[in-house]
Amino acid sequence: MREMLPFGPGVFAWGLVTGVAMVKSGLSIVESLGLSLLAYAGSAQLAALPLMAVFAPLWLVTLAAIIVNLRFVVYAALLRSHLGHLPANTRLWLGYFTGDVMFARFSALLAEEPDYPHRVAYFAGGATANWIIWQVSSVIGIFAAGVIPTSWGLELAGTFALLALLIPLCRQWPALGGVAVAVIVAVIAHELPLRLGLLAATLAGMTAAIALERRLRSTAT
Amino acid sequence: MDETIYIWSAILGVTAATFIARSSVLLLGERLRLPQTVESALRYAPACALAAIVANDLLFTAGALDLSFHNPRWLAGGVAIIIFAATRSTIGVIAGGMAAFWLLRAWFSG
Repeated sequence: MREMLPFGPGVFAWGLVTGVAMVKSGLSIVESLGLSLLAYAGSAQLAALPLMAVFAPLWLVTLAAIIVNLRFVVYAALLRSHLGHLPANTRLWLGYFTGDVMFARFSALLAEEPDYPHRVAYFAGGATANWIIWQVSSVIGIFAAGVIPTSWGLELAGTFALLALLIPLCRQWPALGGVAVAVIVAVIAHELPLRLGLLAATLAGMTAAIALERRLRSTAT
Repeated sequence: MDETIYIWSAILGVTAATFIARSSVLLLGERLRLPQTVESALRYAPACALAAIVANDLLFTAGALDLSFHNPRWLAGGVAIIIFAATRSTIGVIAGGMAAFWLLRAWFSG
């Protein structure tokens, strides 16, 4: 859990902003609390809000939330090899608690120490800390919606927290190349709805990184 | 449909979406075999996903690509990267990045 603390302010600010956004889009306080405590989804919550405001069909709201969450399918595919031996029930809950920050920290740890013995405890502890920080800040955001102006740009604090996670992951050439491609695709695909550009950028970046890794290996030998 | 029922159904729908996206692959566990190439490409997933999120947040103002020197977001991002290189401190990046963003924005508008 201590590992999560440096990211606290970023997660906190992002939760706060989501809390404020839910109330500002017309949900009641109880409904906002329900959405935050149950869905625990950040970007998917934000994507669902405008659809809910116009009473879009329920299947569309659910589908939109799944699509916004698609990057977690990629995350889960990586986690699978480290957490796959656990009982199904445990896996269900660990999956639910996977956030962007938690996932990046966990994969950084396993890159350094692939056989780290306490990795399940590490994951569970970090995920719990993340959940608590997120929920506390969301609740504060929900109740403080009238006081906090959106012009503060508080959501950027979450962006900077992700940036701090990103930099150490770029130490090798393939990762750096993949990141560059991901950024370019993200900019080009920015107009795509439901953050599909994010998924396209992730997949393109991964493909570029693996191609670069192969190229480097074949010239080295 | 009653508004309250609609909203709570939608909340449950988004909750289900969280479980479906995050847990379904994890639940398949070892039954699912992926090609070696895909497995090794997955190691780059976090960096690429984070880069895409950060790029969306920093390079755009009001929905349009803005790489000018009047966009405080990516300039503050640059400051944040320098802070990280110098201090290795996550809190420094968050606090320094936000401070740079507010200062630059005040400067551009003032």
